[in-house]
Amino acid sequence: MIMSMLIDIKYALRLLFKSPKFSAMTIGVLIGGLSISLFTFSFLYSTIYKPLPIPEGDTAKSVTVYHNEKFRHITGYEYENVKTNINSFEEFGIYENSTIRVSVGDSGKNYSGSFIRNGFFEFSRVLPVLGRVIQADDLIEGATPVAVISYEIWQAEHNGASDILEKTMLLDGEITEIIGVMPEAYRFPHSSQLWLPLNNSEFNDNPKISDAYYAYARLKSGVELEEAEKELGQAINQIYQRNVKLYDLPELNKTVQLMTFQMAQTGNDGNIAFAFLMTISWSILLLACINVGNLLFARTIERQKETAIRAALGANTNRLVSQLMWEGIIITCLGSLLSVLLVAAVLDYTELVIHSWLPDGGAFWWHYGMDSATLLMAVVFTFVTILLSTFLPAWRSANQDINMTLRDGTRGAQSKKSGRFSRILVTTQVFLVAVLMLIGSISAFIAHKFINMDMGDDYQDVMTARLDIPVNKYPEPEQQLAVFQLLNEKIQQHPQVTGVIAYNWNPGSVLSMEGEDYESEESKPTADALMVIGDTETVGVHLIAGRQLNHLDKLGNRKTALISQSMAKRFWPGESPLEKSFEINIEDKNEKVFVVGIVSDRLNSSTLFGKLDSVDEVYLSGLQFISSFQAVYYRVLPNTENAEEIFYRAIFETDRSIEMIYSVQLATKNRNMMRDSMRLMSNITFGTGFFALLLAMVGIYGLTANSVAQRTHEVGIRRAVGASDKSIIKMFLKQGAKQLLIGLGLSMALFYLLAFSFHKFTEGMFPIYIYSMQAVVVTIGLSIVVMFATYLPTRRAVKMEPSIALRYE
Amino acid sequence: MTALITLTNISKTFLTEEIETRALNDINLVINKGEYIALSGQSGCGKSTLLSLLGLLDAPSNGYYHLADSDVSSLTRDQRANIRCEKIGFVFQSFNLISDLTVFENVMLPLTYQSKKSKTQIESKVNEVLAKVEMSHRKNHFPSQLSGGQQQRVAVARALVNDPSIILADEPTGNLDSQNAEAVLQLFDKLHQGGATICMVTHDPASAKRASRCLEMFDGQLIKDQINTNLTDSKKPAELAVG
Repeated sequence: MIMSMLIDIKYALRLLFKSPKFSAMTIGVLIGGLSISLFTFSFLYSTIYKPLPIPEGDTAKSVTVYHNEKFRHITGYEYENVKTNINSFEEFGIYENSTIRVSVGDSGKNYSGSFIRNGFFEFSRVLPVLGRVIQADDLIEGATPVAVISYEIWQAEHNGASDILEKTMLLDGEITEIIGVMPEAYRFPHSSQLWLPLNNSEFNDNPKISDAYYAYARLKSGVELEEAEKELGQAINQIYQRNVKLYDLPELNKTVQLMTFQMAQTGNDGNIAFAFLMTISWSILLLACINVGNLLFARTIERQKETAIRAALGANTNRLVSQLMWEGIIITCLGSLLSVLLVAAVLDYTELVIHSWLPDGGAFWWHYGMDSATLLMAVVFTFVTILLSTFLPAWRSANQDINMTLRDGTRGAQSKKSGRFSRILVTTQVFLVAVLMLIGSISAFIAHKFINMDMGDDYQDVMTARLDIPVNKYPEPEQQLAVFQLLNEKIQQHPQVTGVIAYNWNPGSVLSMEGEDYESEESKPTADALMVIGDTETVGVHLIAGRQLNHLDKLGNRKTALISQSMAKRFWPGESPLEKSFEINIEDKNEKVFVVGIVSDRLNSSTLFGKLDSVDEVYLSGLQFISSFQAVYYRVLPNTENAEEIFYRAIFETDRSIEMIYSVQLATKNRNMMRDSMRLMSNITFGTGFFALLLAMVGIYGLTANSVAQRTHEVGIRRAVGASDKSIIKMFLKQGAKQLLIGLGLSMALFYLLAFSFHKFTEGMFPIYIYSMQAVVVTIGLSIVVMFATYLPTRRAVKMEPSIALRYE
Repeated sequence: MTALITLTNISKTFLTEEIETRALNDINLVINKGEYIALSGQSGCGKSTLLSLLGLLDAPSNGYYHLADSDVSSLTRDQRANIRCEKIGFVFQSFNLISDLTVFENVMLPLTYQSKKSKTQIESKVNEVLAKVEMSHRKNHFPSQLSGGQQQRVAVARALVNDPSIILADEPTGNLDSQNAEAVLQLFDKLHQGGATICMVTHDPASAKRASRCLEMFDGQLIKDQINTNLTDSKKPAELAVG
């Protein structure tokens, strides 16, 4: 048994060394397919499914509250009311993630941090290496501000000073005592490096304005997940329903779901993303398997007579299959080994890139590298590949008709069947490649458009921050407005600042134009409403006619608006819209506003796929439409150093308790990150698409060459009876063209269907001729490949002397 | 005389694209141990089909086939493969050696499909049969490095290596020149004298005359079964069998 196996392995190795080009090509195809699949799996597994890297990480759950099945969080009010009544939990707590400003002299640095309650560190089963954790006393209003810092901050900001527990830091403008240092690399719950007390004063007994928090829990032994979800869900829902009438709350049904921290971070969409991306990577692997299978199948067809001889000499089916499989097994194992090495290197690189690219290095569980799960998956992929690309061709060959093959070589019924099979495969490959090329070219156009998109604004030297005024501290709109005005004023006072604007974006606001009758609410036009305080020129939105909104556009005066150029053209074509009025629905109220100015168009995120003027903008005065949430933009002089410090100083002087949604950053940062990620996605798509294309080209060439080679004997006969070289080549090219036409025809039909839907969805982002041009380019490109793949082996067969061709098997 | 093979009412029908072709029609035949049979007839008369059935490369459509007292008419593919491996040796017209295996490896092939023998036993057996066909000096060569006659001698060695109950040869000299053909036929004579059972399909009357028994087929039926009385003493086996 072992001896037979060794003989078969020796023979398979001999065959592989005999055809180095074939071996290299097959291994190359496999490495590509396996590597893409393996990397995708490892990346997604580490991001979503790997157990949390803390002690008992597998039992730590994130608590998510759903509002009518929409992903939300628990409010402080709800938590306070249910925390002692829930029997399912052994541990239950809340926290809040935030960016915390560490000020040093005239500059500073932002760190990810968390505001936490007592019991937080105990939940993570990790205690400080120095000092103590946050305790109940630290949460009392008026308690000394304290913080636990990360090992890395201790090293970077304090050079690992041994007296760190006697030091203070200026955190969010407040002198804070350091009470503990966490172990190296500790970042729980996400990427925190600073942990501050979430004070009792933060909680509000008014359920309408109570803030939402992240929550964590660990179940009591023996309690089922569903049981705990049901108990907490019912408790929260009961409290909410009790308050609906009392506090005029919207009708909602609240439910609870407990999930891993990783899954919660994906908004519970992790499974969908995992399934989608894994489907794509499995498709690539499948394509690789089909091609390797084709190449190996071509080899087994070449060796069909040998297989028949072995069968005649007494080899049974199992023995024949195993003998035929060894070549594929060696190729697959070698390909898998090399792809594991390649993926390990790429994962190491990914780890490096992700942690240097993302602020604070991303989530603490994002560690990429070769692990046991990836190795196990590599083994699974290897087995699947062996099954698809090695076992099936071997099984097919081993079950051939021995008599027929021994009598007629490969020219009998077997070759007729395999010839038909090859033609079907070529047509399928043409179809797949054409679809891939067409979809790939659309992706390239989209990526190009995104990267070079004119957003209609100018964010150069503009800084931005998003903040939320604490409504429990400033419950009246006038108070909130006063805070924003004061903040804007303080920013504007800085000598390096040339303009400030704060606005709250309200997409899809319903309009009612004067003199128009609308059949229903749905038939009314919509526009993006922006409630602004300040000058739109700050963000590069230029005034075209009329005036900017100013301090006179305040409460008590008539309500005014600026409209975008596109809106002016759409509703008042050929006339001036200035001083015209219309109604706009803001917070369920129809407000009549008068147009006082026209500004340039912008491309808002709701219309990323659309044209620049497909959605209109209405700028309302933030002094008349007040909101507690605002995005603040301020333009600084070029080359201004520590531009973000201008904002921090202003906000600390205004009110330290104002919550920042995002830290201060260049306004272009998110956009550049979006463009970078688009470029990365485009490169990945292009790389994957190109590899798939290469795979299919290899497949088409291999199949065509094989089907022509199988007919070498026929070529000999045709030449022997007087056929010219030209007529034979013409015959084969005609057959190739037939397969090409069928494959292309099917793919074009599918493409035009997709292109039509895409064109409609994107409101004609690309003109129709672009799609036709893509179709023409793909048709020409693919025709060249298929014709070339047909011509080369045909020419070789034709060049062979008829006497040799007639003996060819 | 001991019967090695008994065919009773054997028929074989092929169905190709809805056309039924009866290749063998009601064949009854007994082949005894030690017989050297020449099977001849016109092209398409069913010689090769009969040889395929005898070699268990195919199964009969009707009738019974007993090989060494066992009914082998309706065995599975793998059961037939096991019997081929142990009891039957094939010699083909086109040699059918595997081009990527050396002479030694080609000859060894049938033994690798048996699990009974050790490596030493296999090597010794292969060397023995190679010596018998006088090809020991070319054992590390590949088939493409040999002449047609040499290739056929290797094929004969391969047919002998498993000590088969019967050697089936399908026009073994069809692809050889007269000199090489004579050498192969002499080899067969020698094997016959040593007691081997041989069944050879041939078109050549001169080759057929060397056999101890001549069978002739026509249109799927055996029309002649004749003991060759002209066989010289030196070519006669120890005991001649008539079925």
